[in-house]
Amino acid sequence: MNTQQSFFERNRAVIIFAIIALLMPLWFPLIGGYQGLDTKIMIMCILVVGFDLLLGYTGYLSFGHAAFFGIAAYTTGIMLKDFSGQVIPAIVVAVVLSTLVSVVIGLLTLKRTGIYFSILTLAFAEMFHAMAMAMLQEWTGGENGLTGMMTPMLGSIKMQGAVVFYFSAIIAIVMFYLAKRIERSPVGLMMRAIKCNQTRLEYTGINARKYKLLTFIISAFYAAIAGALMVVYEPFVGHEFLGWHQSGEFVLMSVIGGVGTLVGPMLGAGFMLYFENVLSADIGEHWLLFLGIIFMAVVIFMPGGFMEAISRLQARFNNK
Amino acid sequence: MFDLSINAFFMQLLTGLQIGSIYVLIALGLTLIFGTLGVVNFAHGALYLVAIYLAVSISDAFGFGLALVLVPAILFVLGLAMERGLIQYFYNRPHTDQILVTFGLAIVIQELLKWIFGANNVPFAIPQWGNGIIMMHEWFPFLEGFVVYPKWRMILVVVSIVTVAAVFALLHLTTFGLVIRAGMRDPEMLKFLGVNINRRFMIVFGLGAMIAGIAGVFGGPVTQVSPEVGMHLLVPSFLVVVIGGMGSLGGAVLAGILIGMAQSFTAHDINLSTIIVYLITVIVLLVRPRGLLGAKGVFE
Amino acid sequence: MTDVKSDKTASGWSRRDVLKGASVGAVGAATPMFFTKNAWAEEAIGNYPVKGSEVVFGFNVPQTGAYADEGADELRAYKLAVKHLNGGGGMLDTLKPSKLTGNGVLGKKVTYVTGDTQTNADASRTSARRMIERDKVIMVTGGSSSGIAIAQQYLCHELGIIFMCGLTHSNDTTGKDKRRYGFRHFFNAHMTGKALAPVLSNEYGSDRRAFHLTADYNWGHTQQQSMQQFTEAEGWSTAGNILTPLKTTDFSQYLAQVMNSDADVLVLNHYGANMVNSLTNAVNFGMRDMQKNGKNLEIVVPLYSRLMAAGAGSANIDGVLGTSGWNWSLQDDGSKAFVDSFVAEYGFPPSQAAHTCYVQTLLYANACEMAGTFYPPAVIKALEDFEFTGAGNGSTLYRGADHQCIKSMLVMQGNSPSARTSDFDYLKVVQEVDRETANYDPSIFPGELGPYKPA
Repeated sequence: MNTQQSFFERNRAVIIFAIIALLMPLWFPLIGGYQGLDTKIMIMCILVVGFDLLLGYTGYLSFGHAAFFGIAAYTTGIMLKDFSGQVIPAIVVAVVLSTLVSVVIGLLTLKRTGIYFSILTLAFAEMFHAMAMAMLQEWTGGENGLTGMMTPMLGSIKMQGAVVFYFSAIIAIVMFYLAKRIERSPVGLMMRAIKCNQTRLEYTGINARKYKLLTFIISAFYAAIAGALMVVYEPFVGHEFLGWHQSGEFVLMSVIGGVGTLVGPMLGAGFMLYFENVLSADIGEHWLLFLGIIFMAVVIFMPGGFMEAISRLQARFNNK
Repeated sequence: MFDLSINAFFMQLLTGLQIGSIYVLIALGLTLIFGTLGVVNFAHGALYLVAIYLAVSISDAFGFGLALVLVPAILFVLGLAMERGLIQYFYNRPHTDQILVTFGLAIVIQELLKWIFGANNVPFAIPQWGNGIIMMHEWFPFLEGFVVYPKWRMILVVVSIVTVAAVFALLHLTTFGLVIRAGMRDPEMLKFLGVNINRRFMIVFGLGAMIAGIAGVFGGPVTQVSPEVGMHLLVPSFLVVVIGGMGSLGGAVLAGILIGMAQSFTAHDINLSTIIVYLITVIVLLVRPRGLLGAKGVFE
Repeated sequence: MTDVKSDKTASGWSRRDVLKGASVGAVGAATPMFFTKNAWAEEAIGNYPVKGSEVVFGFNVPQTGAYADEGADELRAYKLAVKHLNGGGGMLDTLKPSKLTGNGVLGKKVTYVTGDTQTNADASRTSARRMIERDKVIMVTGGSSSGIAIAQQYLCHELGIIFMCGLTHSNDTTGKDKRRYGFRHFFNAHMTGKALAPVLSNEYGSDRRAFHLTADYNWGHTQQQSMQQFTEAEGWSTAGNILTPLKTTDFSQYLAQVMNSDADVLVLNHYGANMVNSLTNAVNFGMRDMQKNGKNLEIVVPLYSRLMAAGAGSANIDGVLGTSGWNWSLQDDGSKAFVDSFVAEYGFPPSQAAHTCYVQTLLYANACEMAGTFYPPAVIKALEDFEFTGAGNGSTLYRGADHQCIKSMLVMQGNSPSARTSDFDYLKVVQEVDRETANYDPSIFPGELGPYKPA
């Protein structure tokens, strides 16, 4: 009984997220959402949670996570096109391949810190993007994107509509739970220590590089799962998946929501996609201008993003 | 396809120099702001964007001469205003916050200009005195036959060289420059010494913007004038700054020319030309941790 | 615009779907609510059957990014088309055969929703999904580049929604990537080559040597192949072809190579900002005043648009040849009816992008009237092999084999600054190329249309 209770206690955030996510089809349409969008939000939630483990906890700003997202998406696409419509083997191959790439890139880029690290990751990702656009056009479809896949199947179930949503939502919940576990684990402690003062950490005899690499790979793994799911959700891969705009969007989502909180980036992802796809249509052709203003307003008035706004509100509420 | 004749080599050399010139002009302001103020300014491309739209508007209405005088001056003031009104509050904030706020500003500027001028290109006519071509074979007797290059692009190269020289002179021959250079190395120490660094920082930001203004007046007819131009230049100019080494002016010049040359000499092969810039970035940063001429401890 | 909240049962998901979905594994695809109830012979496909007294069209155009101005003009045309469908006027008076009444479509008032493709394939699909899943559009149309059109065409085919392409010129849209649910009224790269090459050889002689600069993406490749194939058939030879990255803004490194070759014609297989930049660069290099092989060096821009011409400036495009699908200066009844009503509404003449979008909307609506239903397979059959006149390109066939319109097209030439009288005549019509010349055998391209009912 006791352990049961503490399980709920410890996983309050995960349970709240699970409830909100699974009930999304009920409440999301009330504010103008639609099925395709809630699935996409779930997928992006997976990505930014992993991204936050790297950015928010170790302080490493990657400008190249589109690489892992995009490589997994293309691999899934090619699997679904040339191998079979079954999604599980496609996802597994895609995630394994993309994660392996992240090991190599991580080993090389983590030799540098700060802005040098950011630019190195950007350069690697842009190299993949350029290759998808030119050298590998035969495989990737270049500018037109990869099309012509078989209908994605899970066993004998067609991966369409509600099924893809619940498939993605359940994976998102599991991944969020795992991230929370990592946060509380000794690895999580190391991650925060790296952000705090890496040199001091190394004086204590701990191999910081090992933990940095581990975190980098974990966050790439999250990005890869998201990339693979994107193709299950819609059998199409656009070259934009690999571009620096995509990487930049991950950063913006995380920062606007509040880095280092895991929940914040998910809020950021939900907000950005909702704004881009629902509010933009109400605002009309100048919606991007308003998004720019919101970026500035959030960072000026709410350093710490949405999460800070929430905790400020909570504090005010508690005082009364 | 790869042609190693003396003519082709010469043309590609010139082209590389000219492509590099624009990178240098934009990266110069960026690295100045980077190095002294520690601000990751994603809105620097947008400053260039403001400059080219101002330049084409003034040039069309009142002639190029006035644009040449007014645009850098306006940009200087704009830079001061931007530093006082926004950037100064972000000196001690994380880079991610700086990126978000300047990226937001870049979007706002881009979309406002699009609102006013439309998304389509605005033709920027080269002034009469800069139009036409230079007969390179008359100047360089080793060339075979007929080799020409646009006069305007040569002017751009010259402007770029003059600007670089002026900035170097300012930083190395004046007291102002001495303080700024010291500030780039160790801003804390200068504060302890009682130097009013804030006012100087404001001027540095203005200078960075002013260089973007000069770049806009001369670069506009080459890069063209459309709202996308700012974002297009964002990534390459950051790469130039980082390859050169954060906060190193010499590095920015070197890296700008290097990138220009690399693009020019790989133009015949799309598979190579699209990745060469990133390949250089990776190799330079893996071999030299702080870029070509970067100082230790800056932005690490 | 549709009001989402008032239409709750039709939009979003039913509770049944949610419960079904929750017990994952036990479910097949999410079945629409109305599947069993309104069971006529025609089953539910996409957003058919249309409920209520209104029918919604989805206009998905670029509102941000490089093609935003073209997108804005497309949107103007769509709004005008809706106005005419509901109230008569414009091409409704000239399109033949037509069952359009000017009183809505099949007795339902036409409304619309809009979206931004951002000229990004992923964004355009998410936007189209919003229209389909939330706003319950019966048809999606729009787009200003081929990659975006193809991405949406695949999506719409999967979801059982008819997609009427906007401006897309790649052979693949109705070639390799043709879809049963996608239709293109605009002409394509192959037709450009076919129509332009004879004019070029007539104008510049049949012993020319061409150098191609080609934007490195699908449209560029097909445009280059077509131009090479048809100019070589006229006796020209090809000196070389350089692929230029789509993101290129400065083309001097490529032009340097062209000037070093022995070519005397430069073909710019570029569109939009690429074309504006490469042409302006070439002019700056003095290439238009250059002599090669004892002849004037000529520049050719296979696909022209008014906006591109304006962006490059008339001094630069003066005399340069290219092709367009349509121009507002045409004097046939259909064009005049469209231009007059467009000018009356907005104060300036429409672009070719506006024209193709306007016609596409009318053709779709007319096909519904002819079929007597919105049932997609019936509408598709009504559009396939539909012959019509009075839409601005003479007698036109919507070819059933590949969903490509076969019609006359235009060879255009840049107007000189002195001959230009307004901001809208940067280009003048040199020759109207008839339908027979532009026509080709659809089987030269691979690809399958796919089934009438989506899987």
